[in-house]
Amino acid sequence: MVPTNTKNFDTLVVGGGIAGLQTALDLGDQGYSVAVVEKDASIGGKMIRLSKVFPTLDCASCITTPKMSAVAHHENITLFTYCTLNSLDHDNSGEDSGNKFPGINAPGVKATGLKALITQNPRYVDPIKCIGCRQCEYVCPVHVPDMEQGGLSATKVICIPFSNAIPQLPMMDIENCMLCGQCEKACPTNAIDYFQKPERFIITAKTAVITTGFDLLPVRDNVQYGNAKIPNVIDSLQMERLLAPHGPYNRVLRPSDGMEPDSIAYVQCAGSRDKSTGVSYCSRVCCMYAIKQAMLLSGSLPLADIIIYYMDIRAFGKGYEQFYQNAKAMGIEFIKAKVARIDEGENGQAQVRYELQDGSGIATADHDLVILSMGMIPAWNPGAICPVSKDSDKFITSIKPKISPVLTDMEGVFVAGAAAGPKDIVDTITESGCAAMEAAKFMSKRLVEN
Amino acid sequence: MSEMSSDKTTKTDRVGVYICYCGGNISDHVDVEAVRNRVEKMPGVAVARTEMFMCSDPGQEMIIEDLKSGKIDRVVVASCAPSLHETTFRDAIKRAGSNPFIYEHANIREQVSWVHHGDTATNKATVLIASATAKAKRLKPLDPIRVEAKKHTTIIGGGVAGIKTALDIAQTGIEVTLIEKSGILGGQLNHLDRLAPSGEKASDILQEFLDQIVNYKNITIHTNCIIENVTGYVGNFRLDVVTKSDNKKFNIDTGAIVMATGSVSYTPYDGEYGFGRHEQVIVLKDLIHILKENKSSGSVLEVNGKPIKNMVMIHCVGSRQIPGIHKPKENGKLNEYCSRTCCAAMLNASNQIRENFPGTGIYEMYRDIRTYGRGQEALYTQASKNKVVFMRYEADALPEITPSPLPDYPLQVKIKDSLTFNEEMDVPVDLVVLATGIEPDDVSGLASMMKLPIGTDQFLLEVHPKLRPVEFPITGVFLAGTCQAPMDAGEACNAAGAAAVKASALLRKGYIELDPFVAQVDIDKCQGHGACVEACLKEGALELIETTIEGKIHKKARVTAALCLGCGACAAVCPEKAIDINGWALKQYEDMVDAIVSDGFAV
Repeated sequence: MVPTNTKNFDTLVVGGGIAGLQTALDLGDQGYSVAVVEKDASIGGKMIRLSKVFPTLDCASCITTPKMSAVAHHENITLFTYCTLNSLDHDNSGEDSGNKFPGINAPGVKATGLKALITQNPRYVDPIKCIGCRQCEYVCPVHVPDMEQGGLSATKVICIPFSNAIPQLPMMDIENCMLCGQCEKACPTNAIDYFQKPERFIITAKTAVITTGFDLLPVRDNVQYGNAKIPNVIDSLQMERLLAPHGPYNRVLRPSDGMEPDSIAYVQCAGSRDKSTGVSYCSRVCCMYAIKQAMLLSGSLPLADIIIYYMDIRAFGKGYEQFYQNAKAMGIEFIKAKVARIDEGENGQAQVRYELQDGSGIATADHDLVILSMGMIPAWNPGAICPVSKDSDKFITSIKPKISPVLTDMEGVFVAGAAAGPKDIVDTITESGCAAMEAAKFMSKRLVEN
Repeated sequence: MSEMSSDKTTKTDRVGVYICYCGGNISDHVDVEAVRNRVEKMPGVAVARTEMFMCSDPGQEMIIEDLKSGKIDRVVVASCAPSLHETTFRDAIKRAGSNPFIYEHANIREQVSWVHHGDTATNKATVLIASATAKAKRLKPLDPIRVEAKKHTTIIGGGVAGIKTALDIAQTGIEVTLIEKSGILGGQLNHLDRLAPSGEKASDILQEFLDQIVNYKNITIHTNCIIENVTGYVGNFRLDVVTKSDNKKFNIDTGAIVMATGSVSYTPYDGEYGFGRHEQVIVLKDLIHILKENKSSGSVLEVNGKPIKNMVMIHCVGSRQIPGIHKPKENGKLNEYCSRTCCAAMLNASNQIRENFPGTGIYEMYRDIRTYGRGQEALYTQASKNKVVFMRYEADALPEITPSPLPDYPLQVKIKDSLTFNEEMDVPVDLVVLATGIEPDDVSGLASMMKLPIGTDQFLLEVHPKLRPVEFPITGVFLAGTCQAPMDAGEACNAAGAAAVKASALLRKGYIELDPFVAQVDIDKCQGHGACVEACLKEGALELIETTIEGKIHKKARVTAALCLGCGACAAVCPEKAIDINGWALKQYEDMVDAIVSDGFAV
C-alpha cells in the first residue's frame, strides 16, 4: 500500500521525550512548523515516568507536564503519538521539490528535503470521538501488568496510559482483550473501534531532529545479577516508580511480599563500564540518580540502611558534587566495590557478593531490596529505517562533537539528548536547544548567505 | 498612560480555586481535601477543585472548562512557587479566551508543605489561599506592555561559547556585536592542544570558528574592550563600552545580552602540593603547553631539558574541596564543585605521554575518575592499557610532596592508596602535574550592573537548570558556557546554541510583551507633588510632566511602563493615593491582610 496522505512541516522531531519536547518548543517559538512523532501512546518519554530529579529534587512531573502541555497546545506543533517511523531519508524523487523545500535548495546544499513514512498504530479508539472520560477503562474486566509502573501493579486492557498522559486517549491492548464488548457499551460517544487499522502517512520536512532517547539494559540478560529471576532485585526505573507520587503501591515496599525494606542496596555500573555486557561506556546518570533515590528513600524510610556499591562516583554536573556530599552527610553509605554477583538469599533477601578494599577478601551482604543501576542503551536503532550513522557505542554519531554535538552525517538531520549518548536531563535540555538552533540555521541559510 | 477606568470597588464573586496535590509533594503534608472543603465556603469562591498535578493537561482543562462555561471569572491556583508555573496557567487561561491576568497564585508547596507538617501546614495553606482569593476578587483584565525590541544581540565574551552564540544568532538574521576584553578571540581554547577524548586540535576548531565569524557581515567584533555600564531593559539595552588601548568610549544599543564570560584556571596557593616551592610542580595547563611545543622524539619526555623518568598527576586540585579539610581562598570560599573536564584532560595527556614516551612512568592520584562523557571511558581503559598506575586518595588524606631522599629524583609524593588497602607509599618523581579546576572569570562588576544572580559556587546562576537553563531572571539576558558551570568545548557549544535559540525567539518579532504589573497614575487625583518621582528606584521610570488642563498648566506624574519595576515605592508615598500598581493595588493588599487575620478560615 502506498500512502497518499502527505503532511508538510519544517521540522520532523522523532521522539517525544524531554529532548523532543524542548526541541519542538524551541523551533515552534521561532515560527517553524514542527511534527513530533512518538512511538508511545503519550509524549513525555522517560522523564514523565520519574519520581524527582537531581540535583534540585523537583518532581519530574512538575517540570515535564507543563512542557508536554505547552507542546500539545502550541500553534506551530503537531503531535503524532503511538506511531512507528518506517523510514526517514532524503527525498530525491521530487520534480517539484524545488518549490516544496525552497530553504534547502540553497547553493552548496545538495539535499532536497526529507521524507518520512509513518504508521499510525491502532488504539482501537477513535481519537476524534473519544472525550477521555475513561468509562471504558472503568468497566474493562481484564487486568494486565502495568508496564508504566514497571510491571509492579496492574492496569486494564483498555486504559489511558497514565494520569497525566498527553493525549488523554485510551488505547486497547488487543493481544489481551477478550472482546467482551463492555467498553463499547460503556462508551458514551461510540469511540471504540475493534476494527481500526494501522494507517500509513508521509511527513515531508526540511529538517529532522532525532530525539529517540534511551532504554535500560534489560536485567534479564544479566547473568551475574540473576537474569531478573531473583525476587526483590529491581532496576532503577522500577525504583523510580516505587518512589513516584502515584506509584504502584503509593509507598516504598519490596515487590515480592510487600515488606517495608530495612536494608536497601544500589549496585552501580550494573552493565555499564563492562565490556561483557556490550556497554563499555559510562552511562553518566546512574551515580546521580542512585544518590537521589537514596536520599528520597532515607526520607520515606528513615530507619532503613542504604548502601551504594560503586566504582567511581561521577558527580560532575553543576551542583552534583555538593549533592553527593549531602548524601554522605545524611548517612547514606558508599562502598567502593564492583559487585561480582547477586544470589537469592533467605526470606526474600538478595545476597550481594563483592571484594573488600581493605584487603580482607570477599564479603557478602544480604539486603531486603537491591536496585541495579542498569546501563543506558539507545532506544532506537536507525538500522534500515534511516541512513544516519551510529558509533561503536550504537548511539547516533556526532560528526563535530566539539563544535556542535548535534550534527549528524546526514544533511539536515540533527540529534539531541540520549540518542547521542547517555545524558542527564539538564544536558539534554541545553542540547535540545542547540539542535533546534542548528535546524533553524539550516533552514534560514539561504536567507542570510552572502 | 491611560486613566484608571474600572471602579475600584468592583469585586467579583466568581473565583475558581484550584488546589494541586503535586503528586504528594503537597498532599503528603497538607490535607488538600480539607483545604478544598474550607475554601469552597469562602465568600466569592464559585468552585474549588483539586487535582494530582494541576499543571498537567487534565488540570489545565478543568480550569479552561470552568472559565468557558462562565462559572468563574477569576482563577486562583494553589500549587508550587509561581516562578515555576505562573506562565503555564496564564497560557491556559488565554486558551480559554480569557484575559491571562485574572490569575493569582498561592504557593502552598515551597511556603507550606516543604516547611510545615500536619495541621499547621493545612491551616497555612488555607490562609494563603484565602488571601490569594481576596486579592483575586479585585483583579482586573490587563493588557501586556508591548515594547519595541531592537533586532540586535550583544555577546559578552569571545571564547568558544561566545563565538558559537554569535554565529547562531547572526544566521537567523539578527545583528550581533561580540565584545571581548582581551586582544584575541578563542578564550581557553588558545591554551589547549589535543582535546579529550577524540584528539581534535584546539587550534583547528578555533580556526573553523574564526573563519566563519570574520566573514559574517552582521557580526561586529570589538576586542580589548571593557563594559562600563549597562542600562535599559529588554529589547532596549544600552552598553557603555570603552576601548582599553585608547580609552575611546562608545555605546551599543541592543535588544538582548548573552553572558559568555567564561572561566579561568584555579591557581594553587603557595605551597599547595609544593606549588611555587618546587619548580617540578606544574599545573595541567603547563603540561599541555609542554606537550604542544614538544618536538623531541626520545623514549623519555623531557621538561626543561631534564628527562622525566617518573611523574605524578594529582587530580581535584582546587575542585571538590571540603570544608574543614581544604584551605579556603582569601574570600573564604571553597570550590566544592567538580570541575568536570580535568579527569578526561589528565587521562588524555597521560595517554599521549605513555604512547610517545614509553620511558616516562605515570602515576595518577585521584579521588574518583569521572570519565562520564562519550568516548571518555575509553580514554580511561586506554590509560590502564598504557600502564598508567592509578592510586586513589581520600579527601582526608591528601598526597604530600616533599624533597626525595633518593639522589636520582628531586621530589617524592606520599600517598595513602585506598586501592591497595590504604598502604602508605612514597613515589619518587621528576615532575608533579596538578589538575587545577575551573573557576568562573570574575564578572562581579557586570553582574551587579545588570543585577545578575551569582550562585554559592561563584558561577553565574540560571533561573532553573531544567526549565530555563540559559536564562537569567532579568528578561533579555542569557548565559552560555563556562560562566555558568564547568563544561568542555562541546558542552559549551550546546549551551551557546540553546542561548542563541532563546535570544532569537525573543527578538524575532521585533517587539516584546512585558507583564503589565506597573504603576498607573490616576490623573484626576494627582496633584504633582513629585513624592513618587523621588521615591522611584528606577531611573526614568517615573517623571513629572507639565500638562494643560482647561487652560491651566498642571504637573502630573507619568510612568514609563517598560522601565517601571512595579515595586510600589511610589504608591507608598503618594499623599493622594493617586498612583497604584496594576495587579497589586493597595486595596488588594488590604483585602489580603484582612483575609489572613480574619478567623474562621483555618481550624
